[in-house]
Amino acid sequence: MSSRRPRALLLIALIAGACALGGAGTAVAAPTGMVCQNGTSFDLTARSGYVETPDGNSVFMWGYARTGGAFQMPGPVLCVNEGDTVTVTLHNALAEPVSIVFPGQRPVSTGGGDPGLLARQAPPGGQVQYSFTADRPGTYLYESGTDPAKQVEMGLAGVLVVRPSGHPDWAYGSADTEFSPQREYLIMMSEIDPDLHNAVETGATYDITKLHNRYFTINGRSFPDTIQDNGVPWLPAQPYGALVRVKPYDATSNPRPALIRMVNAGLLNHPFHPHGNHLRMIAQDGRRFLTPSGGDASSEHFGETVPAGSTTDMLFSWTDQDKYSPTNPLPVTIPGYNNLAFKDGDTWYSGSPYLGYKGTLPATVRSQNVCGEHYFPWHSHALNEFTNFDAGFGGLATLLRVDPPAGCMAVPASTKIVTGSLKGGTYASLATDDSPATYYEVNSTTVAPRRTEWYAGFTGVPAGFQNLKVSYKGRSSSSCTQTVAIWRWATSAWVQLDTRAVGASDVSIANLSPPAPQSDFRGTGASAGQVRVRIACSGPAVSFSSSGTSMNLVYDAP
Amino acid sequence: MSPTTRREFLQATGLGAAGVATGGALLAATRGEALPNPKVDTALGATDGHMILPNRPGDAPVYIFGFVPVPFSASVSTLTNTYKGKAQTPAPILAFRQDTDISLRLTNLGLVGRPDLADSHTVHWHGFRTPPALTDGVPEVSVAVPLQRQFTYFYRPHDAGTYMYHCHFEDVEHVQMGMQGIVLVRPSMGDRFAYNHASTAFDREFAILIDEIWTAPHDNGEQIQETIWTDYDPDYWTLNGRVYPQTLLPNDDPSLPNQPISSLVQCNAGDKVLLRLANLGYEQHALQLPGIGMKVIGQDATLLRNALSGADLSYRTNTLYIGPGEARDVLFTAPAYSSDRPGGTGSRGPYNTYLFKNRDAKKLTNAGGAGLGGMATEVRVHQNALPAQTTPNETYA
Repeated sequence: MSSRRPRALLLIALIAGACALGGAGTAVAAPTGMVCQNGTSFDLTARSGYVETPDGNSVFMWGYARTGGAFQMPGPVLCVNEGDTVTVTLHNALAEPVSIVFPGQRPVSTGGGDPGLLARQAPPGGQVQYSFTADRPGTYLYESGTDPAKQVEMGLAGVLVVRPSGHPDWAYGSADTEFSPQREYLIMMSEIDPDLHNAVETGATYDITKLHNRYFTINGRSFPDTIQDNGVPWLPAQPYGALVRVKPYDATSNPRPALIRMVNAGLLNHPFHPHGNHLRMIAQDGRRFLTPSGGDASSEHFGETVPAGSTTDMLFSWTDQDKYSPTNPLPVTIPGYNNLAFKDGDTWYSGSPYLGYKGTLPATVRSQNVCGEHYFPWHSHALNEFTNFDAGFGGLATLLRVDPPAGCMAVPASTKIVTGSLKGGTYASLATDDSPATYYEVNSTTVAPRRTEWYAGFTGVPAGFQNLKVSYKGRSSSSCTQTVAIWRWATSAWVQLDTRAVGASDVSIANLSPPAPQSDFRGTGASAGQVRVRIACSGPAVSFSSSGTSMNLVYDAP
Repeated sequence: MSPTTRREFLQATGLGAAGVATGGALLAATRGEALPNPKVDTALGATDGHMILPNRPGDAPVYIFGFVPVPFSASVSTLTNTYKGKAQTPAPILAFRQDTDISLRLTNLGLVGRPDLADSHTVHWHGFRTPPALTDGVPEVSVAVPLQRQFTYFYRPHDAGTYMYHCHFEDVEHVQMGMQGIVLVRPSMGDRFAYNHASTAFDREFAILIDEIWTAPHDNGEQIQETIWTDYDPDYWTLNGRVYPQTLLPNDDPSLPNQPISSLVQCNAGDKVLLRLANLGYEQHALQLPGIGMKVIGQDATLLRNALSGADLSYRTNTLYIGPGEARDVLFTAPAYSSDRPGGTGSRGPYNTYLFKNRDAKKLTNAGGAGLGGMATEVRVHQNALPAQTTPNETYA
């Protein structure tokens, strides 16, 4: 109903534009996925700082930070192995005593500090030490045990992950909890009442019965900040992203599910709704769901209310069960973009219904889509939490990104003949290996040395791509020596990828891989995103023509 | 909406029970030959209207957005002339067979009460497994249907169960305003089973959508005022868009022209009764059926039986918790009729009454008015035999 344009969406940078540099002082390994602080001995400091919200607000918080590091929300993800003796030293840079309790860990022995209600606590300027044996794999919360009505609300919480002994790619101590280590995600949920935080900041009366949450967070961020990479510099105090990326399930090439570690560090139960596919809930509070005889008692959910203070572990995979594609289209007519609406002139939609394909979007719509991947929101279905204060499509939400199984594919956007002349077809003839084949055809020069030479131009290849591969299929009316080459923008030279004799039958040359560093083959500046692939043929004593039926690039998007 | 329209709509969407009752031979033959289910075309309009709630200041009706069932092949202008301003809430119960090709055409008819607004709409099939992004109906990651335009969603559901559907455009508002409904998928095993498992057989089924109404944004919307959604503070609690005692009125009761779906559960002793419960409110609810034990056999369109170990995960409970965006399938066997039990008598003779209600007494009121209200309905176990059910939620005058 609102005619206002949510400011939040305007703040989003291209997902593809983000980099893996990491926040100050943090060792961020990957742009997405759970960021572990590995070890057995951790040194934390309780201190204050500010978090940013997508509507431009800035909220005073308390949090557990690495000692010597910057304030961060939430606290570091402490990753240990089953059986480790874990020591956590807590320093206190706040003006009142603080502590840590470790629900699910016992016994916890303490040293130093002062006696407290739930745990020994560090006085202002002082410290306390906690030690326990991590004897059960699982996902756990750690949080303040001092004045929790204030200190947990203020943000003093974090996550402890205990990995099963000898199996870092299992969630628990059995093979049926195996997951893909590249796809391990943390979703830690919480809420913020900015007025209560302001009361703490200004020394006004703090009354928890006045709690009125306005912000709802995952990993300390509110959507759309949640989908930004780990450690982006513009969220200096909120280093953990929550974008979930998977590729479609495949029994041989991608058999393992993603692991989603969900933690509710807030005061409210949060009903979490994953679009795209059900989540398989395998454990709660570090305990697997098993039958009395030890059989699997996990269950599938399209909505699951994670209780306040609890954790659940979910396995997730996405199967492209109907495999819709341009050759297996949805059997309905899809209206042109001029008869559709794109909300707020901003979309994650590719313009095509098919995984791995891009279509045409209005020029006025900004696309966040890299190469035809699907996006699905994962969000609280208490939709009043799927907001940033007064604006919708924010808050307790992130996105699932399903990448094309073979990587991103690009087809030529142009062709240019260097030697020879056009016989027939256009760059579009090279888009698919169609049947009957359509060809882009080039006549050779008519005097010796007879030769054809042309190249295709590709656009939109994102910075940070990996695993670039070139494929080409074509033929020649007389047998010629064909070379496939790619333009190295860095040195302004063609680099040969393949050479062979090609005759009157189509020859398919698949998955040619340019040498490292592959970033040299992507244009920058005015040529940003461009890749050029050249086909040349020579040798026949008679005039001939070279014909290509398909050419494409495949790469992994950043 | 006329009663005939609603019944025709349910049948047109491939509602299985009706098919078994009136065209069973055809369906059996179809399955026996392992032919695909016939494709189904169905259509909804998106528009506004009003609902009626008791204990409102000045008896004012409540402004809603909603879906309305419309013919599949009709021009936008014809649909607009016929259906604009006639939204119902909840939206019609959609029922399909597993592995059916479904075309669902949405037409954005516009708003009578807010001609200044040009809101787009979508249909999100909540819980559908692995859709393409385009047909998932989330405007920010796909497309929305602008004013006076049509879009045809395509679905091929492979998994039986109880699902929901709702508009995902400005969802916190459009869902609360009433753009929500239940969609159920019948298993290949047969139309009288909830899932592809013999233990899920039933005689009667009732789809009940759980929701809250916060009247402030409805009134704000009608009066061109904005709402701060983190102030969410509902004052009515509904089953199928009605509050007690409206919930007891039959389907298509003329006193509730835009709330056509009853929540009255009429059955006979020994009937296996399936409650398909779905929560599209923003609160978690605790539901009870005192006097009758509830067995939860499914959740989130999934049989409560582990696919890997075969472990039976169904459970019996006296209080069923269901969070926002969640679904449960509850099976109970209707107890014997006893003249000693509370009950009443009607045109079908005597019956025993059991109350299906929220545990939270704050949700058993109509905006604070006296007496029982809110999220409650009755299960009536009739002494005399009722006809076999032909549509979900069937009521008998």
